[in-house]
Amino acid sequence: MFNKVLIANRGEIAVRIIRACRELGMQTVAVYSEADRQALHVRYADEAYLLGPAPSRESYLRADKIIAIAKESGAGAIHPGYGFLAERADFSQACEDEGLAFIGPKPSSIAAMGDKAVARATVAASGVPVVPGTEGEGSLSDEDLLNLAPKIGFPLLVKATAGGGGKGMREVNNLDEMPSLLQSARREAEASFGDGNVYLEKLVEGARHIEIQILADNDGQVLHLGERECSMQRRHQKLLEESPSPFVGEDEDLRQRMGEVAVRAAQAVDYVNAGTIEFLLDKDKNFYFLEMNTRLQVEHPVTETVTGVDIVKDQIRIARGRQMRHTQEDIQLSGWAIECRINAEDPYNNFLPSTGRISHMLIPTGPGVRVDTGVYPGFEVSPYYDSLISKLIVRGETRGEAILRMRRALEEYKIVGVRTNIPFHQHLMDSPRFMGGQYDTRFVEERFSMDSAEEVREGYAEIAAILATLVAHQQTERAAHIIQRGERDTSNWKWVGRWERIHR
Amino acid sequence: MKYVTTVDDQEYIIEIVDDQHVVVDGVAYEVDFESVSGQPVHSLLVNDRSYEAYVYPSDEGWQVLLRGTLYQLHVEDERERRLRASLGAGLAEYGEFHLKSPMPGMIVAVSAEEGQKVSKGDVLVILESMKMQNELKSPRAGTISRVRVRPGDNVEQRETLLSIE
Repeated sequence: MFNKVLIANRGEIAVRIIRACRELGMQTVAVYSEADRQALHVRYADEAYLLGPAPSRESYLRADKIIAIAKESGAGAIHPGYGFLAERADFSQACEDEGLAFIGPKPSSIAAMGDKAVARATVAASGVPVVPGTEGEGSLSDEDLLNLAPKIGFPLLVKATAGGGGKGMREVNNLDEMPSLLQSARREAEASFGDGNVYLEKLVEGARHIEIQILADNDGQVLHLGERECSMQRRHQKLLEESPSPFVGEDEDLRQRMGEVAVRAAQAVDYVNAGTIEFLLDKDKNFYFLEMNTRLQVEHPVTETVTGVDIVKDQIRIARGRQMRHTQEDIQLSGWAIECRINAEDPYNNFLPSTGRISHMLIPTGPGVRVDTGVYPGFEVSPYYDSLISKLIVRGETRGEAILRMRRALEEYKIVGVRTNIPFHQHLMDSPRFMGGQYDTRFVEERFSMDSAEEVREGYAEIAAILATLVAHQQTERAAHIIQRGERDTSNWKWVGRWERIHR
Repeated sequence: MKYVTTVDDQEYIIEIVDDQHVVVDGVAYEVDFESVSGQPVHSLLVNDRSYEAYVYPSDEGWQVLLRGTLYQLHVEDERERRLRASLGAGLAEYGEFHLKSPMPGMIVAVSAEEGQKVSKGDVLVILESMKMQNELKSPRAGTISRVRVRPGDNVEQRETLLSIE
């Protein structure tokens, strides 16, 4: 049984895992790249080891080094966080081979869910509904795919079997444009994942992206912890999550049915530890299995907030071979949670990432507010890793209270040194469609604009004008001072006297 | 000192009387203005109402981020304004424009060649940073006069990538 955990990650999630370990009385081992010497996870951990240069493939992706450090430091377990090595079956296997506990699922479960086509076939065989498509082995030729496409119906999606993050994905509206789109999808998949295999899937219109958190112990007990609404996305990147989903709402029957199906999907691959089943819901509340994420998710705090379950602590307990502390009856959703992902991106400049040193930061506090972050004033946001710098999570008795609280917390949150998407979230909180819970996965791209709320706020233009003028005025005055200081600071008579003495 | 400050198309005549008094379009306000610990975050009390905002210098003037809205402003003192009026308008579209890297990163693709004509909004360079691919677009029409980077190059922030004339 282990008492020391190596955290093979960085940023806010490494800090989150260290906190769980601390509270359980476990020793923690951090690993870091040259760019992260001053990162919070290094400062918080009991031990810290250098992995290598800043690029991920030379640091956080060096499975061999991480395992060697675990053995050297006497850590009995590795928590992979999300991203990096979290969904690599070979890494989970290597841990097992070296006698280290991997805080996550078995290698076979990761492998089964990692190939999307295999995952679809596996869960479909256990009676879980999947989006209609070519759920076979996924090694179909272009000719086969072109023949199958009309049977599925248009519009449809071409997706990479090894895919993720929207890479190698194409929307096809008719048969004529399909051959060229197939080519470009294969090319992109080949470039991104080294595997050009693609499959077809019916495009669900007006789709909602809703996922179910599950926890499974070694005795085969699997719990579902309710849903998370993740439809607020931009370019397949989630921006905001909430639990419960306003779309599922009071429909307890739908919630339980989705939960039971999620449990069945997990059981189909002998799943152990925390995982997430993603579903697409159409407007008639039909739901289809999309994929399973075999790891801790970025958005786990919203589930923790409404269920009261500490998912990371339970992950560690499960990895130590303990039984689950809860039964399905214990899991009741209470209140409403919303999470805003705070990214170092400029929402006024096409969400361009922003790098630099954080010179000043004021974190929102007060009732019902939680901030998970890995940055602090003085920390340098580098271009090597993703732009998520913080997660702001609020709880309310109702969704309305949660939205009002989020507005308040966003206004309090001040980050100076990099541009952030906080103004985007502020606009979102004011958007009538968001308030009404009326949004699908295309909302941000198709029906949202940073200018939309401008008229309402017209009253502040004058205040903005006063502020800019005062700052400009101050700057002009300061510049005038500098010019004056360059002049001689003594009287001209004294100056002439000194000059003459020197040249005598 | 008197200033003419423009927000969108709205002009304000703002006179800074002293540290505590400003006159906006003839209306006097009592103000108390502080930069929070020397940062771009500023606290402003206007007739005892409290506001807090980020104020950044920008290429075109100033940006103020206030209550979740970004305002683009132009501040001119009266002398600058007279000078500009006597020179007349239409200076903006001349000279070379240098497309600079907004952040450190790696060049993924350069979709323009030297001598090529481009229009406003054309994608010129794709830059990868923080695991995202970002399209850098042409701010105006013109001809590419010089391309300084190739795919695979690592670039620093503010490095010139290409020039348009």
